[in-house]
Amino acid sequence: MSFLSPLFLAGAIAAAVPIVLHLLKRHTEQRIRFAAVALLKGAPVEHTSTRRLREFLLLALRVAALAMLAVAFARPFFGAGSAMSGGLSVVAVDTSLSMSAPGSVARTRQLFIDAVRQAPPGDDVAVVTFADRADVVVRPTANRNEALAAIANVAPGFGSTSYAAALGASAELFHGRKGTVVVVTDLQASGWDADRGASIPASVGVEVRDVVTDVARDAGRGQDNLAVTSLRADGDRVVATIHNAGSRPRDAHARLTVDGRTAGAATLNVGAHGAADAVFPGVRSAGVASVSVDDPGGIPGDNTRYAILGADAPATVLVVTTSGDLDKDAWYVRHALAAARGVSTTELATTSDDVLRRYGVVVLLSTHGLEPRARERLAAYVAGGGGLLVAAGPDLDAAVAADVLGAADRLDIVAGRESQPMFLAPADVRHPIFRAFGAEAASLGLVQFRRVARVTGRACQAIARFTSGEPAVLDCAAGSGRAIVFASDLNDRWNDFPVRASFVPFLDQAARYLSSHGRRGSEFLVGDVPPGVKPVPGVTTIDTGTGARRVIVNVDPRESAADRMSPDDFQSAITRLKADAVNAERTDAAGQESRRPLWQFLLGAMMLALVAEGLVAARSA
Amino acid sequence: MDYLDPAVVARLGTLELKARAVVEGFIAGLHRSPFKGFSVEFAEYRQYIAGDDLSTMDWKVYARSDRHFVKKFEEETNLQCQLLVDVSASMAYKSESFGARGMSKFEYAACLAASLGYLMHRQRDAVGFTAFSDRIVDTLPPSTRPGHLRNILVALDRLEVASRTDVAKPLHRIAETMTKRGMVILISDLLDDPDAVIRGLKHFQYRGCDVLVFQVLDPDELDFPFDRATRFEDLETGEEIMAVPGAVRDHYQRQMGALIDRYRRELGSAGIDYQLLNTGEPLEMALLSYLSTRSRTV
Repeated sequence: MSFLSPLFLAGAIAAAVPIVLHLLKRHTEQRIRFAAVALLKGAPVEHTSTRRLREFLLLALRVAALAMLAVAFARPFFGAGSAMSGGLSVVAVDTSLSMSAPGSVARTRQLFIDAVRQAPPGDDVAVVTFADRADVVVRPTANRNEALAAIANVAPGFGSTSYAAALGASAELFHGRKGTVVVVTDLQASGWDADRGASIPASVGVEVRDVVTDVARDAGRGQDNLAVTSLRADGDRVVATIHNAGSRPRDAHARLTVDGRTAGAATLNVGAHGAADAVFPGVRSAGVASVSVDDPGGIPGDNTRYAILGADAPATVLVVTTSGDLDKDAWYVRHALAAARGVSTTELATTSDDVLRRYGVVVLLSTHGLEPRARERLAAYVAGGGGLLVAAGPDLDAAVAADVLGAADRLDIVAGRESQPMFLAPADVRHPIFRAFGAEAASLGLVQFRRVARVTGRACQAIARFTSGEPAVLDCAAGSGRAIVFASDLNDRWNDFPVRASFVPFLDQAARYLSSHGRRGSEFLVGDVPPGVKPVPGVTTIDTGTGARRVIVNVDPRESAADRMSPDDFQSAITRLKADAVNAERTDAAGQESRRPLWQFLLGAMMLALVAEGLVAARSA
Repeated sequence: MDYLDPAVVARLGTLELKARAVVEGFIAGLHRSPFKGFSVEFAEYRQYIAGDDLSTMDWKVYARSDRHFVKKFEEETNLQCQLLVDVSASMAYKSESFGARGMSKFEYAACLAASLGYLMHRQRDAVGFTAFSDRIVDTLPPSTRPGHLRNILVALDRLEVASRTDVAKPLHRIAETMTKRGMVILISDLLDDPDAVIRGLKHFQYRGCDVLVFQVLDPDELDFPFDRATRFEDLETGEEIMAVPGAVRDHYQRQMGALIDRYRRELGSAGIDYQLLNTGEPLEMALLSYLSTRSRTV
């Protein structure tokens, strides 16, 4: 048995109180040495032995009641203690796109079987599959056959690799137990890119079973793969980037289709470990384009890529500045958000709603010249599901910006003022904008703010605050869309945020969050598809609330990269923090305790003990 | 000063002094009692005064001296009396309400034995003494020698309460040693098996002795006046019983009453004199009982 709050066990000392009282009372009882005791026999008297038994029973009931009260407050639970008795082997199998290379599937399954069978005797075994996210296929079990039966799930999909997801899901299974995570993977280097490592309890070991090394050894050669890693429209041309992951140059035969009709073909030579663009000129029609390459010996899932051409193509970010010249007004934002386009405040008033809806995110940096009509348009855009990022910098007029979310969702902005240097700290690290920072969220605290605005909103929640306690970043709901309000400047005038390493990820994550929320985007990676969209490459339609819209889903181009890491590099990216282990164990303990609230039974037993004590005491009175 | 009051007697120094005070006080009271002139032994002459019984006139003295004298007599027999004093642990009980005054059952019994011895010695009866618990602790054979009373008083003074009671066993043993008819006086709380006690006493009768039994009990043992929950520890066995007196008083008093009645009834039917003595009451009743028994014996 374990305890969630063991300090309360100190309260059991109170159980000594009735013992002390019992000992004290024992000496105060009148005692008479009497000659005719024999005549008392048979009378309704209590013999000493009976009396002592009754007293000890009373004492035991009182002590038990107090002890049970203390133990109940300590929140006992079963589970962790018993679980600690045996180890656990978690077999985490990589099912990302890169694992679909020829020969890898069979080898992966063999390594999986070996890992299950080689688990230490007495250990439980669990099975986790992972790509962008991890799924626990078989929870910890002593039944090896049950674990082996999960081989049906060991099949690659189209997702990208996330080792952090794999190790995170695996770590949650340990619940304080010791054991090992066996990772069956191709050791693709990009698996750490987005996650920047993972933490795992110090008591858990990590083993790596390298699929690629075994396949290459079996095939007697390295991995060959051609992939279409990029597809974009450039005027009336369509440009596809073909990547060769092999160690020898290859001829790539690329074909372009638009809405299912062949629109062009090209053959190009791609050097070893290199990339080349396949250009398809004269493509004027709008629609869904796809470019495919023939690659029978490589990963099949990355041979085709999709893009939306013409009016359907979204320009993801629209930045509203005074002049519309981003190099002049928003240099840092422009370079942080490569897909950003600029528009002046005056032009915004004349931009149609349809055009505005093409943008996943609108970044409002200035209100100089922003007419009421433009503000209404922005409000309608947000209400219709658009994402708006507002920077309350020097170019933002508080009174003008107040109704950019609509009159009903008024923002109260007090213009920026000089202040002592202050810093920023996330108030909700689980927010999607900060979640991606992971352990690096602390880097946001390096940004020094010299001037900040005070922003409040009825439908806004502060997700980050300045060290003064004032909101720094607010997440505001408005209709079907959302707005992020940054209470300072984004152009290196009121703070040094743009020159900090956290600036680009912050804007990137904010743009992703805002664009994905209202389903404004039309291009998704397999790992980022919104609900209702299958994580499979191709074209599909989604309901935006205002009508159906075609969207495309592509595989993550990083999955086509041949960059691999060594098992040592893999291990070095893993952080083993005891504190994390302790916290995880405590969280798990709280979960176990809440599932089986023994304290309720203990309090019930305590009440019964008190009732019994009352009955016994009444008989002794 | 009432020398028959236990509270007064308890404050007197030696047992001899106590005995003398009791007996003299008792005899002084007897001048108004029907026991006047019980002795047959000549004690002294006294000048005749009007109203004296002419049968006590000594005519020979009148013939020789021409004066009228009447003869004063003391009873003189060859009575042998054995005082049996129970010194078991239960005799040590003394009511807390007495405080420094009053006597324990043992002290009361010793004082009674001394008084009886003093009285007997004064009457020229042969008096002996035996102390017993579950065995014979001390014994002096009956004698009329001048210093014998002192020996008895010294022996009584030296007595201490002993261990458990087994009245029957020493009674039988003493009865076996009795060689001459006489009187046996048992002073005990009789908190023992009544059957065994009665059998032992009947043994004396079988040996031709007259038996007088004094059951000495403390007022607490008769009235059970305790009021709060009490752990009663047996003086002899150490057995403890926890009791709420209010709840057990009736039962106890019934038991005690039944025990006393049984002694009184069975001993009476066997021709054995029985007298219940309360240590809070004067010794007068005890001495009267003795004299009553003695008058029947001689």
